[in-house]
Amino acid sequence: MRLEIGNFYVKDIVFGESLSFKNGILTVNKEKALDFIREDRRITEAELYIAKPGDRIRICPVKEAIEPRARLDGRSIFPGYTGDLAKAGSGVTYALKNCSVLVAGRHWGGFQDGVIDMSGEGQKYTYFGGLNNIVLVADTNEEFERYEQQKKNDALRRAGHRLAEWIGSCLRGLTPEETEIYELESIIRRDPETEKLPSVVYVMQPQSQMEEMGYNDLVYGWDTNHMVPTVMHPNEILDGAIVSGSFMPVSSKWSTYDMQNCPNIKALYREHGKTINFLGVITSNLNVALEQKERAAIFVAQIATLLGADGAVVAEEGYGNPDADFVGCIVALEDAGIKTVGITNECTGRDGQSQPLVTLDEKCDAIVSCGNVSEMIELPPMETVLGELEALARDGLSGGWAHDEVLGPSVREDGSIIMENNSMFCGDQVCGWSPKTMKEF
Amino acid sequence: MKKAILYINQFFGQIGGEDKAGIEPEIHEEHIGPALQFAKTLHAEITHTVICGDNYMGTNTDAAVETILGMLKDKEFDIFLAGPAFQAGRYGVACGTICKAVKEEFHVPVVTSMNEENPGVDMFKKEMYILQGGNIASKMRKDVTAMVNVANKILDGLPVGSASEDGYFPRGIRHMVWLKDKKPASERMVDMLVKKLNGLPFETELPIPKLDRVPIAPAVKDLTKAKIALLNTGGIVPVDNPDRIQSASATRWGRYDIADTTALKGGEYKTIHAGFDPAAADADPNVITPVDALKVLEKEGFFGRLHPYFYTTVGTGTTEAEARRMAREIVPYLEEDQVDACIMVST
Repeated sequence: MRLEIGNFYVKDIVFGESLSFKNGILTVNKEKALDFIREDRRITEAELYIAKPGDRIRICPVKEAIEPRARLDGRSIFPGYTGDLAKAGSGVTYALKNCSVLVAGRHWGGFQDGVIDMSGEGQKYTYFGGLNNIVLVADTNEEFERYEQQKKNDALRRAGHRLAEWIGSCLRGLTPEETEIYELESIIRRDPETEKLPSVVYVMQPQSQMEEMGYNDLVYGWDTNHMVPTVMHPNEILDGAIVSGSFMPVSSKWSTYDMQNCPNIKALYREHGKTINFLGVITSNLNVALEQKERAAIFVAQIATLLGADGAVVAEEGYGNPDADFVGCIVALEDAGIKTVGITNECTGRDGQSQPLVTLDEKCDAIVSCGNVSEMIELPPMETVLGELEALARDGLSGGWAHDEVLGPSVREDGSIIMENNSMFCGDQVCGWSPKTMKEF
Repeated sequence: MKKAILYINQFFGQIGGEDKAGIEPEIHEEHIGPALQFAKTLHAEITHTVICGDNYMGTNTDAAVETILGMLKDKEFDIFLAGPAFQAGRYGVACGTICKAVKEEFHVPVVTSMNEENPGVDMFKKEMYILQGGNIASKMRKDVTAMVNVANKILDGLPVGSASEDGYFPRGIRHMVWLKDKKPASERMVDMLVKKLNGLPFETELPIPKLDRVPIAPAVKDLTKAKIALLNTGGIVPVDNPDRIQSASATRWGRYDIADTTALKGGEYKTIHAGFDPAAADADPNVITPVDALKVLEKEGFFGRLHPYFYTTVGTGTTEAEARRMAREIVPYLEEDQVDACIMVST
């Protein structure tokens, strides 16, 4: 399977007459974009903003991030989600780089939503603080979940994906600045030199903890709670087969942007044919019941064995309960004789003294650690807030609080904030971006 | 200039060796022994040197600590230093003991240094900065330099580096840091993976602590003659929680007389455990500490006798070290009553 991603690097974003991309400038007709968004009758209020690195902007509550793209064959960029079901991972996809569509609530947030700062001390906590963002701030008529801590955010997230596709369409007919080629042939028909290298699978554990539909990550539109582990081509993930969900403290989430650009997959691709033979991806999940966890680990270890994997990389989208899947899966792989590296965040508490994962096993001897969900962060006020900052304190965001005897509320009257890293939007970056680690003190 | 006070033993205090190890605490205004070396680079004036015999500190600990705290009461100081203690076991424990007491009494930072073989390391490393020192006194200059490096950061209000950067024993605290080279997790993963696949040494970023497994005890031979004790980490206490056991990260435990009790009643006992929904245990504490069933079984002769107290702490967030200490405090009561077996209820 061969996927070509044609890259167009965004240097600036402006609002203007018509949607276009020229000389690194992305121009968006705001009214037309908003009209398109309002086609979904659930959207009651919508506004577009531009937020670039260095801007004195804080965005909250952020619900999703998507890279704007276009498929030249007319197929949807998220098959089974924004368009008809079709195979992803082959052909030509065009992408606007250094650019994302962010979706934030106009008022209401929840456990799964987060904060992005575009400058200052807070900028480094998220990947999106370093991107040129088109920010959709909107509200919906989804009254059933307005005051729920857990929100599906369905209308807003879909609006973001549709907007990313709408914006990406301006790339049709243009010539990309560069083309990335991802090509991986059948597992059993590789050139003899590659076959001499140790073979590796990437075991991806996307978020699937919610029993009710509408919250979990989707694979081709299918809820990941309803699947057992399966084999996927890495290109499918890089080409929109997986869409992010709306569950989990947000720092440990993988946005759709993270899926489309998954650095772990790209890093394994880079090594393919040099130091490893990259076999492919085993997509697992993080269902909550112990039997489901054990079943998933059995499936993963069996598939990896059958594929002839010498090594595996396991990455979890979450922490706490999912740590059991993460550790269980590594142990199952090691027990099958497969040398495994894990990538995770930790939860060592504000004082750093708690056990880093809810379960530990000495077989997990090679772990890349991406940060502490409960690290305390205090940030000064920001000139402009997109969304409603009060949501961080009021709406049960995982790293915010309405009241604390010692610390006061998360959001202070002057606009400064105190929060746990838990609420930094996709801040842990276990998908591979993370420039952070954990050290003993 | 900020002020510092140094604690050393009789040997480094130039009073004498083993024959002088019993001397009581003294305090001097002049720089003695290692104080001279510290004074060269420390960003504080060493105003006093405290000297105490290692044996005196070891055998009259409470009196020694009390005397020294009394000596320091009217002194102003910004930091308290002790040692370096090298591999000297009694000296290391003395440094840890006095540093802990000074830190708790005066809320000033404390810094000491010991060799990894020193028993004081395991006893005190979670409580303070203990620099990883040499094994013998010829390493004095190096160990003092390492202590001063950390002490100066504290005195200057600068963040102390990680345990590996600044050379102290990890205190069981893990925090997030940005890597200087900003190397993304994906690249660190690939490096680790390729090394592991090729059998080369690699360094995990999350060392898994060695699990301290306790072998399962042999079965009780004759239950009808056995004395059984009931313990729990489910936080079952009399409703006024007389021992003030914490609801999480417990450091305290209690024992409660059930000699004349046939069952624990809701309203008289409750759980103070913060890690689960307490409704069921508050309504009927026997669901965690089954005094009711054990009393019946005792009467029926199913086992010999029930130890007349049950023991309680809270398990959630409680560290292994605290749990071990509490067990050591509880065990003598069980031994005294010749208990044959325990039922340990976790939640």
